[in-house]
Amino acid sequence: MTADARYVIRASDPVRSGPAGWLDQVTAAARRAPVAYREQLARRRRRTIAITILALLFVLYPLINTLLLQPLVRSGVPLPVPDDTVATFMLIFAAMAIGLNIVAGFAGLLDLGYVAFYALGAYTAAFFASPHFASLSLVLFSEVAPGYPGIHVPFFVIVPLAALIAATFGVLLGAPTLRLRGDYLAIVTLGFGEIVPVVFKNLVGINFQLGPIKLENANLTGGAVGINPIDPPSFFGIDFGATSGQAAVYLAMVIVALSVIIARNLERSRMGRAWMAIREDELAAEMMGVNTVRTKLLAFGLGASFAGVAGSLQASYLGATTSDFFQFSTSILVLIMIILGGIGNIWGVMAGALALVYVDKTFLPWIAQRVQAINSDLPNAAQFNFLIFGIILVIMMRFRPEGFIPSRQRAAELRHAPPGQQIGSAATLGEDAVKSEETSQAIAAEQAAEPDA
Amino acid sequence: MTTAAPAGDLRTGSVADAQLLVKARDVTKRFGGLVACNKIDFDIPRGAIVSLIGPNGAGKTTFFNMITGYYTPTAGAIVFDGHEVVQHRGKRVKSLKPHEVTSLGIGRTFQNIRLFGTMSALDNVLVGLHVHLRSHWWDAVFRTPGMLNEEAGARERGMELLSLVGLDDRAETWARNLPYGDQRRLEIARALATNPKLLLLDEPTAGMNNAETRAMTDFIRRLRADLNLSVLLIEHDMRVVMGISDRVTVLDYGEVIAEGAPDEVRKNPRVVEAYLGRGAADA
Repeated sequence: MTADARYVIRASDPVRSGPAGWLDQVTAAARRAPVAYREQLARRRRRTIAITILALLFVLYPLINTLLLQPLVRSGVPLPVPDDTVATFMLIFAAMAIGLNIVAGFAGLLDLGYVAFYALGAYTAAFFASPHFASLSLVLFSEVAPGYPGIHVPFFVIVPLAALIAATFGVLLGAPTLRLRGDYLAIVTLGFGEIVPVVFKNLVGINFQLGPIKLENANLTGGAVGINPIDPPSFFGIDFGATSGQAAVYLAMVIVALSVIIARNLERSRMGRAWMAIREDELAAEMMGVNTVRTKLLAFGLGASFAGVAGSLQASYLGATTSDFFQFSTSILVLIMIILGGIGNIWGVMAGALALVYVDKTFLPWIAQRVQAINSDLPNAAQFNFLIFGIILVIMMRFRPEGFIPSRQRAAELRHAPPGQQIGSAATLGEDAVKSEETSQAIAAEQAAEPDA
Repeated sequence: MTTAAPAGDLRTGSVADAQLLVKARDVTKRFGGLVACNKIDFDIPRGAIVSLIGPNGAGKTTFFNMITGYYTPTAGAIVFDGHEVVQHRGKRVKSLKPHEVTSLGIGRTFQNIRLFGTMSALDNVLVGLHVHLRSHWWDAVFRTPGMLNEEAGARERGMELLSLVGLDDRAETWARNLPYGDQRRLEIARALATNPKLLLLDEPTAGMNNAETRAMTDFIRRLRADLNLSVLLIEHDMRVVMGISDRVTVLDYGEVIAEGAPDEVRKNPRVVEAYLGRGAADA
């Protein structure tokens, strides 16, 4: 019923990362079973090709965009092509989705206040790379003009700092709340997501004294106006800000690529297994020696750090930040992205983020423009974005609840399809399904008979 | 079979503590008004196979859960291998957390199989090894050589454990796709991965036919011999209990009503009345 053991990569096969590991495993499998070798190679080749195409598209897209698509658009061909700003935001949200996937997808913790960490990242950039604190002139290796007031720290320091601050707040929020389960946790995170932007909006006119620290009518966060200008990201004199166009897209790509690598490495580690064990059965995980509180905190903190990085990139890119950017709807939007994309699967949630931001920022306005060109009284599609996302979500839940690119686990859970089989004919898969059905019935019967503690 | 259970009355603690892996005294657990376990004294000598039997609702699983740290007893003391599982701080009773108890050396299986369904058999075992792995998340992020070595070693150990229970050819199959008997054996492999001194088996032969039950009994005996384990068994199948146990303790309504070698317990009138008698009456 299962795939022949020789077909499967074994634990004893050499474990190396990257192409070397790939080669090792395939050779090891080949040595065991020449027939399996071909199947395995084919499967891996398909995946490698898919990833390569994706990577090429990513890298080449900005070039294709400027050289081909944008001129076409300018010359009047009606194409919904995202401009560089939209492309950058697609990628910023991809990084966020990858982070939320660690929390919600791997560890199974519902976080409805993820935007709080995004805000923390953005304000980290605003505090440490803007003329906002003009009285505290401090320029550290930054490429701003000498004598420019305020704190200025270069972008490559801002990013880890934002990650650290977001992770710290993630742990602070998680420590008292992760003992809660399911719904309760969701409500607490929802509250946190609301509190953080409100705090940023209201930390103005502060009077405070503690020892030598004295604040008189201090404007800490710029209130409703927010903080601007924020230094654009720059490396070696090259500007990656909003005016840089493609350079910013490339920077965002690098950040997304790093996010993918980090998330994948975490997924395939002791921690990743512990997260999945907690998602599958928290009690059993605890009984097997997993420190569930610490492991969940880790998921929360690491997940938050991705949003922190995304926030710092967003603020640096736009050169401004205000608390209005960070609303509950953003938390929900990221959640919709990972659900549509395929919760639990890094490629899926990334696709979900790219698609949703694209639809929101380019496709719907494009439709609206076309519709209103016919008659300006017709509704503006771009204003109904959340209605449309809602409809998409409902349709997806009906026809493909596991998302565009589902994780194997999700697909199995929602489809009752025989999961876990890597190679096998339809016949053997069918047999497997029957057996697993019997097993689950046996277990269900037993549970009904004797409820356990 | 040379029995490791020493002579003498275990319940009065006449045996030197060094010979006892588990020593529980006056363990009581109340859920509101319900007394699930009432002043239970219970010992597990090193290397012994000890069974806990009793009618449904007698408090067996509750007691199990107190040893593993899942429940904190209302009163009483539990010492495992020289470590206090239950500590008293003034009037407060504090229990070690389940993962702490696990790292001390207690592995368990569940009455209703609780595997990580959509993880492979090997990954299930690797979760059991979690306690003994030392790499941190940053090692995972950077895939440090230490972490890769540790992972490779863990996978090798995981495969060993899978072959021990005869599942090495199913390493990549999802736990929930395994047949029922295989799932029971995988649970044992997962529990063994925590490298226990004491293995708690909660009805390991539930739902098995005669041949499977015999195989499981032999397997438990072999485990004790090969791995130098002590085993605490909760079991309803009297043939299993009487055939395999060095000592048997009978619970009824949360109290110990009998304790001793299988033959003594079988003849005990209170046991016959509470347990076997009622079973016969029902039949």
